[in-house]
Amino acid sequence: MQSKELSSYFELLGVPVSWQVDESLISSNFRKLQAQYHPDKVASGSDSERRRAVQYSSRLNDAIKTLKSPVLRAAYLLKLAGVDADMSSATFKDPAFLMQQMELREKLGDITSASDPEAALEEMFESAQAAFDDLSQEFEQRYTNKQFEDAKESYAKLQFIDKLSREAEELEHQVLDG
Amino acid sequence: MALLQISEPGQSPEPHQRKLAAGIDLGTTNSLVASVRNSIADTLPDSAGSHLLPSVVRYATDTIEVGSTALAMATEDPENTLMSIKRLMGRGADDVDVSAIKLPYDLVAAQGMVQLNTRQGRVSPVQVSAEILKNLAQRATDTLGDELAGVVITVPAYFDDAQRQATKDAAELAGLKLLRLLNEPTAAAVAYGLDSKEEGDIAIFDLGGGTFDISILRLTKGVFEVLATGGDSALGGDDFDQVIAAWVVEQCGSAGQEQTNSQRRKVISLAKQAKEQLSDTESVEIEYEQEKVVLTRAQMNVLVDPLIDKAIRACKRSLRDAKLKTNSIQNVVMVGGSTRVPRVRERVAEWFGRDPLCDIDPDKVVAIGAALQADMLVGNRSEDDMLLLDVIPLSLGIETMGGLAEKVIHRNTPIPCAMAQEFTTYKDGQNAMSVHVVQGERELVEDCRSLAKFKLGGIPLMVAGAARIKVVFQVDADGLLSVSAEEESTGAKASIEVKPSYGLSDDEVADMLKQGFGSAEEDKLARSLREQQVDAEGLLQALSAALLQDGEALLSEDEQRSILAEMEKLQAEIESGDAGSIKAQIETVGKASDHFASLRMDASIRSALAGHTVDEFEKGLD
Repeated sequence: MQSKELSSYFELLGVPVSWQVDESLISSNFRKLQAQYHPDKVASGSDSERRRAVQYSSRLNDAIKTLKSPVLRAAYLLKLAGVDADMSSATFKDPAFLMQQMELREKLGDITSASDPEAALEEMFESAQAAFDDLSQEFEQRYTNKQFEDAKESYAKLQFIDKLSREAEELEHQVLDG
Repeated sequence: MALLQISEPGQSPEPHQRKLAAGIDLGTTNSLVASVRNSIADTLPDSAGSHLLPSVVRYATDTIEVGSTALAMATEDPENTLMSIKRLMGRGADDVDVSAIKLPYDLVAAQGMVQLNTRQGRVSPVQVSAEILKNLAQRATDTLGDELAGVVITVPAYFDDAQRQATKDAAELAGLKLLRLLNEPTAAAVAYGLDSKEEGDIAIFDLGGGTFDISILRLTKGVFEVLATGGDSALGGDDFDQVIAAWVVEQCGSAGQEQTNSQRRKVISLAKQAKEQLSDTESVEIEYEQEKVVLTRAQMNVLVDPLIDKAIRACKRSLRDAKLKTNSIQNVVMVGGSTRVPRVRERVAEWFGRDPLCDIDPDKVVAIGAALQADMLVGNRSEDDMLLLDVIPLSLGIETMGGLAEKVIHRNTPIPCAMAQEFTTYKDGQNAMSVHVVQGERELVEDCRSLAKFKLGGIPLMVAGAARIKVVFQVDADGLLSVSAEEESTGAKASIEVKPSYGLSDDEVADMLKQGFGSAEEDKLARSLREQQVDAEGLLQALSAALLQDGEALLSEDEQRSILAEMEKLQAEIESGDAGSIKAQIETVGKASDHFASLRMDASIRSALAGHTVDEFEKGLD
């Protein structure tokens, strides 16, 4: 007989494969599993025991990180559906999104020269969050309807917004430390 | 084999045995050892009743002195009396700005870590730290009346891979079984969390002699999750002393004059004394070089405020990383002797908007937490007691074109963790490539710490761009990195040559151990052979049982056959009497059965989670 594949991260953490995940359930399942398989449980064990525990615990850490982050979760769902989520092959059919991106980028560039940079940043985070929420919904709809190529486009957009948010955070560090 | 031999939660396959374990706080200025006795964790005093061991080692004419004996000679014999050695752990000559640290030692740029010239010859920071560890371990053995089964040693959360590796090497050199390197702030949380059963988000503000750490932790039903760590590895009470000393020198009219090493020591010790007195009084008189000056608490506050500002800025960053606001922090725990300075407490209370906790002696709290963790790791407490989920403090990256560092594992990623990165060849028939691993947050490789350079060799002959070399970076629970590589299209393992840029190679540690142990070497070899044989037999037994139970269901015939073949080789090696080759074959069997073990683990997890509700899990964790 053929060798089986390992469980998906969803199965590992005891939830169905879906965009919506029960965060408190995966967190409590994660803690329960780590409590059993963490390397600390075999701290005085043999090298091979510890090596396996490190590998397993790493996999659990990656699973919880992937399922908790919307961007990583979207990429993972696409991968499970057999869609290559590589960004370099993504194309945008949505000029409105590109406009929105350019506007947000322009705002980000103006923050340091704003009269109240902290307030400007706060506004930036809010706009980015709103855009992110809309795109998450778009992704969910397309994914649930098995329109995977379209879902891939939503995912690419999510990545853009995510990158923007991270740049805004970097900027906030600079502003705070100023 | 825990992962093959799956036991029910809470059921240990071994009968319960109480073992002795200790927690060691290896500090920049002072070190402590603690242990759990009669269910109470406390630090252990030396024969004179002192709990703190000054982290000072003096190389006298033909003896090595540790602690207050050494400290007493600091002014008289400065070149041979080594203090604050923790600041040099895992550091290369390029990292140490001698004038900034103001250490009066004769530093030698050696291969890898710096070394120090003493009258007993060159010593490395690892050797000096090992002397301190030996002293503390001896104290524990004397007090507890038996050998230690293992120790937990604490390190600043901010320590990078090289500094952690150096600490691990020091433990090995001191002949100690290291169970875990624990972040100091995490240890403090352990000490508090178990005593008061706190739940919620807490900040650990740890201002020691030489380092500042801020950690944001979440406590949930016995699980400590580190959400974020940050800090400054060159900020501490020593810096307070420095700014006060500089002020004293200026007030006494000696500014700009060259000071001798002993003058420098003298004024710093006066500054330290004044700082400590100002915790209880409003002003203090200092006499230096026949001049008298008065330092008020208000003046000292002005001097140290810029240093406290640095600490508060690090707090802001960490809260942002943890995605929290100050008002969601329910407790602020104070750690480290420098949190006794009233100004520090004031500023922390003001910024977090709540009074910080200082119930446990801020000097002892880290060692106490380490002792509790050590007690659990040697198996003295039941399975589902406490779990510590830690994060990596600094990002790991690799050098890419143009000297840029590309992050492979981001800071504050929970550990252990593994990340795979694919590389390809850029020339036809290229059979080797170099990978440079760095640690740090900066964009340029030259601004990050160089951890290691690997040469991947044995790449099969292919056209440019066809080879797919998967390099796996694995960080263990101690925050230490290991790397493996494989060419994916052919399955050929690319060999890795690791050149640690800092720290000691295993051979160097082995050499030092040889010098240290001398005649005990043969005993050690015999013990190591026996250990490997026991490991091998255990693995074979567990694997046979697992194959009988699940082999048919989970594996193809070919897969079963290849595991059995490696098991037979291991059986043969057990008879060979060579510890090294048994160990190597254990690894091979382990790798051959990795996939099988993972499949079994998944199957076990599926049944463990099947048909349970959230409530049951919550109860199970109580």
